[in-house]
Amino acid sequence: MKKIVSILLMLSLFHALAGCTDEDRAANTVTVLVFKHGKIAGDPEKFAQIIRTFESQNPGISVRDEILPASTDEQHQFYVVNLEGKSADFDVLSMDVVWVQEFARAGWLRDVSYLFTGDDKSAFFPGPMQAVTYSGKMYAVPWYIDAGLLYYRKDLLQKYGFSPPETWEELVSTAGYIISRERDLYGFIWQGKQYEGLVCNVLEYFWGNGGDVLEDSRVVIDSPENIHALGFMRDLIVTSRVTPELVTTAIEEPTRHIFGNGKALFMRNWPYAWNIFEREGSPVRGKVGVGLLPSFRKGMSASTLGGWQLGINKYSKHPEAAEKLIRFLTSAEVQKTMALSIGYKPSRKSLYADKDLQREQPFIAALHEVFMKARPRPVSPYYMMMTQVMQPEFSAALSGIKSPADALESARKQIEHILGGER
Amino acid sequence: MTGRESGNRFVMPAVLLLFFITVYPVFYVLYLSFHRRLLIFDISEFVLFENYLFLARDDRFWNAFSNTMYFTLMSVSLELFLGLCIAVLLNRTFMLKGLVRAVVLIPWAIPTVVSAKMWEWIYNTDFGLLNFLLGMKINWLGSTFWAMNAAILMDVWKTTPFVVILLTAGLQVIPRELYHAARIDGAGNWAVFRTITLPLLKPVILVVLIFRTLDAFRVFDAVYVLTGGGPANTTETLSIYAYKVLFQTLQFGYGSALSVIVFICTACISLFYIKILSRGAR
Repeated sequence: MKKIVSILLMLSLFHALAGCTDEDRAANTVTVLVFKHGKIAGDPEKFAQIIRTFESQNPGISVRDEILPASTDEQHQFYVVNLEGKSADFDVLSMDVVWVQEFARAGWLRDVSYLFTGDDKSAFFPGPMQAVTYSGKMYAVPWYIDAGLLYYRKDLLQKYGFSPPETWEELVSTAGYIISRERDLYGFIWQGKQYEGLVCNVLEYFWGNGGDVLEDSRVVIDSPENIHALGFMRDLIVTSRVTPELVTTAIEEPTRHIFGNGKALFMRNWPYAWNIFEREGSPVRGKVGVGLLPSFRKGMSASTLGGWQLGINKYSKHPEAAEKLIRFLTSAEVQKTMALSIGYKPSRKSLYADKDLQREQPFIAALHEVFMKARPRPVSPYYMMMTQVMQPEFSAALSGIKSPADALESARKQIEHILGGER
Repeated sequence: MTGRESGNRFVMPAVLLLFFITVYPVFYVLYLSFHRRLLIFDISEFVLFENYLFLARDDRFWNAFSNTMYFTLMSVSLELFLGLCIAVLLNRTFMLKGLVRAVVLIPWAIPTVVSAKMWEWIYNTDFGLLNFLLGMKINWLGSTFWAMNAAILMDVWKTTPFVVILLTAGLQVIPRELYHAARIDGAGNWAVFRTITLPLLKPVILVVLIFRTLDAFRVFDAVYVLTGGGPANTTETLSIYAYKVLFQTLQFGYGSALSVIVFICTACISLFYIKILSRGAR
């Protein structure tokens, strides 16, 4: 018995050694690109196929895609630690829309402007293009896009003869009317926990009232428009009471659960929730409508932009191969494949008029207008510091610790202090 | 070569290793804390105590500091009290004693992040078990009053078993004869507990206190997963604040200053306890 075991061990050892030499030989001729990204939704085989297509089109390049931890905070931390240490262990990286400015300012990304000429650039949605452009140069390419949406219960609106609201006031009156006549129904739910998602929510109210955080380099976060908008959000909870208090601890998933169980009339969330609502066995299947978020004045609707961008590590040893991979992954063709097989929303405008996509994924095709109106969070290398100021101040206003005016004034002072660092 | 010299030589590798993985980082953090260092802007300048001076008038720091103190005080005293009660009960002979002891340990065996996620759902206003049992709709993690106390409750649930195990071990070494003698002298339950159990358990209680106070003072994962520091920073502890400054906003100088303060506080706490402990031993 012992003999057999040792023979087996020897064999496996040989095998392992032989494997090593094979790989070493291959490494001499083949460029191994390392591509870091977060988990791809759904069946991993579908994305693996896309990578294999790239490899067969580009003999001599092999791609190793490495998945980072699920939380975006951890991904940010991973990139920062490695790029600060000038690591060349990965070539292509996928970045949240709010990181590109910061990484570009730090000098960690290769300038990829020359990959795209004027026409190519305008093929992408304006929001993400703004987010990847730092002092006139492109430091990443928009890969896929996301934006805040209003989900509503078509069936209930129809039952009471309402149409989807265009202004916040309409939303409040509609919700107020319907929840007083339905049992166990919340009017409007959104994400109000102290975290990045809260900033995404609040900015949509600011923009919908003509406000903003920065105007050129001036901090205008405590403008009367913004004070009104933030006060309105607090009022949703305490005055009109169409929003339950639980939103002050809610992130995306709990709100998606509540709405998905048929317990809410309106919800603000990202596009990912749609597919889950339309799954077989979902209590709200076929009863959900989506549209632009309301605004304070008609036509001012704006969603917060989300989504991921691809960039090249400045310290990468294979920048040409990395460029090829980025070009490939952000091409119209691959974006279409990803939209059809994985459900990721293309960052190229033209695809939303694509016949196949309109037929197979009518929901995605319908998002064109939302994405055209999607705006990036304050485009600044200081954004990560600014959000650390905004999160607790917004949270304080929503939970009633501070008045909206006080919270925003304090936020303005702190942001001015941060921006003062460089000027 | 004397025995002593050769001993030193054997110890060297371990000492070197410890030096590189603990002493060196500690001094590096101290060094960083005297700098204004912003990674993304490639700024690194020596500012001596500026970070510490800023810290002294940073409201967010003082808020985090008082949150941490409150958390530590409440959770450690509750854990000690409950742990003592449970340990004394478990020390009696009854059926299935072994099984019960094992069951008590379960919360301690679950990784903190997992139990924090679990409690996040338990505290959920709508689907949460707690509100279901109470028949109420309390917004546990969203209310400025409840959020911190909810985090404390979770920590108590999780770490009381640790206290119980240490105290049970301490109880078992108390000689039975003392109890018998006390009983013969006619001492009641309370008198036995106060004059025999408690004094003899004191060293173990101090060890428990050291461990728990240090852990509670550095609390991060439990609170971070539950509330992320919200609402409005009412549950932000020093470690969470330091984490945000260091790894989310990348201000390495200021973040290091925060970490140094946490280090100094824990060092003071340890010294305080060690002093009591050594006095007790004498």
